[in-house]
Amino acid sequence: MESQQSGSAIGAPRGRGYRYNAIVEERRWAETLLAGERRLLEMIASGRSLPDVLDALCSFVEQAAPECNCGVYLIDWSGPCFRVGAAPSLPASYTEPVDGLPVRRDVAPCGVAASLKVQVIIEDIESDTRWSVYREHVLAHGLRAVCSTPVCSHDGRVLGTFCVYQRQPGKPSSRQHELIAQVTHIASIAIERAQEEAALIRSQALLAEGQRLSRTGTFWWRVATDEFEWSDECYRILAVDHSAPLTFALIDARVHPDDVNNVKARLAQARHDANDFEFECRLLLPDHAITFLRVVARARRDRGVLTEYIGAIQDVTERRVSEAALGKLRSELARVSRVTTLGALTASIAHEVNQPLAGIMTNAGTCLRMLDANPPDIAGARETARRTIRDGTRAADVIARLRALFTRHAPATETVDLNAATREVIALSRSEQQRAGVILRAELGDGLPAVTGDRVQLQQVIMNLLVNASESMSSVADRPRELVITTERDEGDHVRLTVKDRGTGFDAQATDSLFDAFYTTKTGGMGIGLSVSRSIIESHHGRIWAAPNDGPGATFAFSIPSVAATAADVV
Amino acid sequence: MTGLQPLVSVVDDDESVRESLPVFLAVCGFPVEAFASAEEFLASADLDRTRCLIVDIAMPGMTGPELGQELRRLRREIPIVYVTALRDESVRPRMLAHGAVDCLFKPFSETALLDAVATALRGR
Repeated sequence: MESQQSGSAIGAPRGRGYRYNAIVEERRWAETLLAGERRLLEMIASGRSLPDVLDALCSFVEQAAPECNCGVYLIDWSGPCFRVGAAPSLPASYTEPVDGLPVRRDVAPCGVAASLKVQVIIEDIESDTRWSVYREHVLAHGLRAVCSTPVCSHDGRVLGTFCVYQRQPGKPSSRQHELIAQVTHIASIAIERAQEEAALIRSQALLAEGQRLSRTGTFWWRVATDEFEWSDECYRILAVDHSAPLTFALIDARVHPDDVNNVKARLAQARHDANDFEFECRLLLPDHAITFLRVVARARRDRGVLTEYIGAIQDVTERRVSEAALGKLRSELARVSRVTTLGALTASIAHEVNQPLAGIMTNAGTCLRMLDANPPDIAGARETARRTIRDGTRAADVIARLRALFTRHAPATETVDLNAATREVIALSRSEQQRAGVILRAELGDGLPAVTGDRVQLQQVIMNLLVNASESMSSVADRPRELVITTERDEGDHVRLTVKDRGTGFDAQATDSLFDAFYTTKTGGMGIGLSVSRSIIESHHGRIWAAPNDGPGATFAFSIPSVAATAADVV
Repeated sequence: MTGLQPLVSVVDDDESVRESLPVFLAVCGFPVEAFASAEEFLASADLDRTRCLIVDIAMPGMTGPELGQELRRLRREIPIVYVTALRDESVRPRMLAHGAVDCLFKPFSETALLDAVATALRGR
């Protein structure tokens, strides 16, 4: 910066020479202000610290007006009190007592400036008795005149004060006023920016802490270029070093081998469908730990075209582990209660049948003895045989009663929207499907006619088909576990529902026995699901069938008459 | 009590047993009486001359084991053969421990029944 003598130019030399000099002087002054302003703004823009900027600001003023000493005092509104922002030419003995001074009108001129948002000018402190303590302090440091100007934010909040002291009594000159107005504005920019930066850093710290606590990382995926941005927590969740840029290859390397194909299919689908997506998968980390990851993403479109996904990944391992423990406990309970129920049922059946059996056997023994007697007791034997027949009938009655107990009642007949019923089942089974890593796609036909029947029974069938399909894919690792459920019109006013999986499928020779009771390919299965399903569909005057796919997996389907077909039948 | 003809009493709420068993035992040469409940048996005059009691375990009202207890309380040392249609293997050792001659699961063989009755009448 050029050296200045501007301060000494204040005064009034006369004559033509002065006029020329005055023009040169004015120009130099303007240049000085401009250069100073530019330098300060550059400091702010380049991110220099607030104390540095305010120091430079004071030095600039003191160079431009050497008879002045300056100070910037920031307001800490928690007090509220003043904090010394910068006062490079004032000694610590002056600034230290000022730091922490309450923002009050009765303490110092700066308090008035800050409280009332007005510029306060004290031409001679010695003759001003308003602030006795302050006056002594100022005078003791050889200062006589003070001009305190509030520094305000763009929306009018008082951020601090800019204070100019002079060693001689007097008002600020017009140039000093000009200077004060300019640097006060720059100071407000610097302070506001510093406050915003502090707020940003605080909010980032809060976000990072929140992400760490909730084990949630956020990401941004620009689809066209496969660019990523990941929060720190993502790196932690994926156990990836910060220095490595995250790529799909790196993610694939972290996803559990059994889930890789599913994840790939999910992402390919997201790329293609441009819809919000969410799924769960497992990770296999370098330390061999397996963690559970939940991924949720929202699609962002520009004029209808997918541009990017913004999403979050959450480490849900703890939840999954406790859920798994709970699920295991629950299924164990279910098994125990099934066994108990079955045991109790068997015992009661046995008891009911054993009573007449005991009679039958005893009667048979009696009968033989009567016939073997000499002479044979024919009448007695006949009577005993009659009782045997009666006991046999009794045993048969027991069985008949049991059958009645376990035979379903006639299905309720109501009008059922098969699509709505299917959607409910899908919603019910969604979490199970997700847990099993199954991608379920529903292709429910538009304008599907209603069917007549028992909604709950039909839903049992659909659920059964979904569960079977999902279970048949549980060991599949080399391809996506895809499940497609379709509804459509079938010929003869029928409605058809199809469930197609990519599981282990079944032997074509087994097609006929699939729907028989107690036929099962599952180790834990009872083999009654499909048999019950068939009896339900048949009671709806429909048909259920299965076929192996051309590729992997199997397709199960049923077709039942629509309301129109049922009505036509009645007529 | 001497002079009275030794009697086999059958106590069972199940009709087929109550009809078939006495006839069989009678054909085998034992004097028999049948009762539909423990209470009926306790109230009958046949209590005194019963030398063998065949009783069902699970009956409405007083059960077989409760009848056994009641007889012990009355100091009637009648040998008891329990029968039951409920096949619970843990029941038999329990009944034997309580002094039963035998415990038979329905449907039982006639040999097992005759053996048990013979043992009871021999006074063990």
